[in-house]
Amino acid sequence: MLRLLYSFVILICIAPIIPGVLGVVLSALSYIPSLGLSEVTLKGFADVFAWSGVTRSLYLTVFTSLTSSYLACFITFAVLQTTWNTRAWKWVTSSLAPLLAVPHIAFAIGFAFLFSPTGIAARILSPILGNSDFSYLVNDQNGIGLALALALKELPFLLLMSIPITQQLKLEESYKVATSLGYSQAQFWWKCVLPQWLTKIRFSLLAIIAYSASVVDMSLILGPTNPPTFAVLVWQWFSEPDLTLFPRAAAGAVILFIVCTVLILLTKWLEHLIVRKRRTWQISGRAGFQLRGMTLFLVVALINILILPITLLWSVAQRWRFPDLLPSQFSHRFWQQEWDSVIATINTSLFIALVSASLALVFALIAHEYKKRYRLRIPNLIIATPMLVPQLSLLFGLQVSTLYINVSMPLFWVVWSHIFFAFPYVYLALDGPWRSYNDGYSQTALSLGKTPWQVWFKVKMPILFPAISFAWAVGAGVSLAQYLPTLMLGSGRVITITTEAVALSSGSDRRVMAIYALWQAILPLLFFTFAFVLNRLQRKGLTPIRKRIFNEPLSKKPHHL
Amino acid sequence: MKTTALFITTALISSTAYSASSSWQDIETKAKGQDVYFHAWGGSQEINAYLKWTGKELKSRYGINFNHVKVTDISKTTSLLLAEKTADKNSGGSVDMVWINGENFKSMKNSDLLYGPFTQSLPSWEFVDKSLPIDFDFSEPTDGLEAPWGVGQLVFIHDSTTLNNPPASFAELLSYSKAFPNRVSYPKPPSFHGTSFLKALLIELTNGDKSLSQPVNEADFTIVTQPLWQYLDEFHKTAWREGKQFPAGSSETMQLLDDRQLDLAITFNPNAVFSAQANGTLAETTKTYALDAGALSNIHFLAIPWNATAKEGALIAINFLLSPEAQSRKGDLKVWGDPSVLSNQYLTGSAKNTKLFKSIDEPHPSWQTALEAEWLKRYGNQ
Repeated sequence: MLRLLYSFVILICIAPIIPGVLGVVLSALSYIPSLGLSEVTLKGFADVFAWSGVTRSLYLTVFTSLTSSYLACFITFAVLQTTWNTRAWKWVTSSLAPLLAVPHIAFAIGFAFLFSPTGIAARILSPILGNSDFSYLVNDQNGIGLALALALKELPFLLLMSIPITQQLKLEESYKVATSLGYSQAQFWWKCVLPQWLTKIRFSLLAIIAYSASVVDMSLILGPTNPPTFAVLVWQWFSEPDLTLFPRAAAGAVILFIVCTVLILLTKWLEHLIVRKRRTWQISGRAGFQLRGMTLFLVVALINILILPITLLWSVAQRWRFPDLLPSQFSHRFWQQEWDSVIATINTSLFIALVSASLALVFALIAHEYKKRYRLRIPNLIIATPMLVPQLSLLFGLQVSTLYINVSMPLFWVVWSHIFFAFPYVYLALDGPWRSYNDGYSQTALSLGKTPWQVWFKVKMPILFPAISFAWAVGAGVSLAQYLPTLMLGSGRVITITTEAVALSSGSDRRVMAIYALWQAILPLLFFTFAFVLNRLQRKGLTPIRKRIFNEPLSKKPHHL
Repeated sequence: MKTTALFITTALISSTAYSASSSWQDIETKAKGQDVYFHAWGGSQEINAYLKWTGKELKSRYGINFNHVKVTDISKTTSLLLAEKTADKNSGGSVDMVWINGENFKSMKNSDLLYGPFTQSLPSWEFVDKSLPIDFDFSEPTDGLEAPWGVGQLVFIHDSTTLNNPPASFAELLSYSKAFPNRVSYPKPPSFHGTSFLKALLIELTNGDKSLSQPVNEADFTIVTQPLWQYLDEFHKTAWREGKQFPAGSSETMQLLDDRQLDLAITFNPNAVFSAQANGTLAETTKTYALDAGALSNIHFLAIPWNATAKEGALIAINFLLSPEAQSRKGDLKVWGDPSVLSNQYLTGSAKNTKLFKSIDEPHPSWQTALEAEWLKRYGNQ
């Protein structure tokens, strides 16, 4: 039974990687028989490099990805160094959940309201600096704004992932040893913690590097335009009407994949360099300065906090001309005008999120139970593939494949793709708790004569309930954030709050954009609140065993929300 | 490919026969309850609001569920349809209705992606002003495959408080830009408005060279467009952000005009300022104007893909959009202000009083692709 279910899970959540990869690779090699292209050539790749802006575009991708990821990594370390073991650390950890719950797109739109050439920052500065052009953080040609916004968004994720690491590292004990050897606290962090922390945070860092290199939606809103980052360029090629250029787009998707792989290898190499190869700095010298982590964190938090009121204000501004600091006329007409369509898209988004999160959760539970019982199983790395491979590259092949299954069911394909992309997150969110679960409880219950089903529902599930409900909310959050899968597999027919928010963000009406951004931020919050309330209700009968595991699940929230 | 072409031809023949035999009543009955997915540019709030109204009316009158799929560029829909065509998906397609003209129409027509001819069978056809150039779309014969929806004229918007005497020609625009650097720009090609700007500019610089009305060929292109690139090289030096960055589209130029970043915005709707003022996106002092030579003019159309799932629903929707009521509302200055394609006698309200600017004809559609490619090659990666 479990074997059968597990094969089903593999079929839905993992096997599609194969047609996804095959589809894109074959198209990249110009092998698309249905288009009359049946000769394998490298013309697609040649076309990519014949495009005049391609080098710059690739450079922008590498630059934004590395800058944002390492900036986030650096600030995370600074925050850890400053706040660990202080009251501020508690404050930081408790503020992470709301920071993480803000979706990337709502964040990007709010970021643009703040920092665009006519954003709030420019409005405040304009009396001082005159009516000059302070652009350069939104759609700037060097991608600095994009890199910064990505870093701000990745920081809470890295901090969250660091919580269990700081627990595992036995910092208190090491600190005692380090101080007794004469190291200051700052030196202790640089020389003792950094090498260990960097190794443990590796997967999270790789995930954000891959994400930021392949991100399309945020780059469309904040990134450079002429040329755009490589992922956006490939996305634009994909939309070209001239089908003979299709191999170029596919080749672009393959190159994007290669770029991500190279970046991942580079990151691993850098880590190796810092931790093992060039480790003299660890054992000699006095360097070990104290970073101003708290200030950095406060700036990040402040930007996040400012975004909400500004977006809200824009949604009710009838007239708000540059450089006025506040709207000169207010109106709720845009809420009224948009309400019908907002409600309709909310319904679709909620439906897809509910279905895909619930199914992804069931699949992840099956996978974990199977993993407990059988040796032969899919390794975690393969399960995490959809997190590390650029979505665009995979979706390319998947779309080609779905077209051949000649059934028009956009909603079905969209729900499936959301399950496909939510599954690894849900699976990994359950990984820690499942590992730390003491099987003794189940065995005891079994020996007392309960059936396996009863044991699962009466013993294991209640103990792991916080993790399960949280993983479910994570799945819903991932589903709600999906832009490319919804657009590509939904053939434009499935309209969610996210696709609408991105569509409206390109130079359209700011008021309407604000309304959609607000709702895009609210929806995932609903799921997390629901999971939280469920937990509270269930927690009333909390047992001592449960308390120990309770903090674990939070550590696996994806960066992607 | 041959078999596909054959299949399409037979499908076309059978569908024409079908529309002749079945009466409009039958179509209305079949359309009831259908979901119509209308792919149309979604970059303008006024247009989106108008289409929302259309959806409500179609629902209450005909029981049709009308969905506006907002696309940033209709060429994405063309590629979607082509993909469906390559996958031999000749029915149950995902698009029921498209808003197109020019190059996109030509490429859809050439790839047999359109259903029809159907325009003559529409009851609203009798209201259409036949004196408009509705039989040709950028010099490509429409052959009844697309129904005219509105008239577009490429005009500029200026704010009379900041710029009372706007440039009356592209030559003046260049001197204006030199005198006031960082104040003028145009939407980035290959966006619809950006390419239209290039075409209008090319027409002025070449004094409407005859070869522009012919399909483009390489030798001509190099000679004819020479002054265009010269002009742009010069213009970009003092343009907004030194011509290294461009607004994404018409709406963004209007936003930038209101943000006092640009002095001129570009639109295809000669009445754009009125609805924008009512919406609070432009100041009361803004005005539209055309250059002295006239405004690049074209008609925009509605068409139905060959594999549309809800052909009947799409026909009803197009017929409704061509009705005097819908056209009068579309032409209402406070709603959208898009000039109507109906004869004036059928219109009511402010739509009736719309005056068009002197018009300049579009070049042959093949120039569009060539201009876009060359522009991207020259300025796409700065």
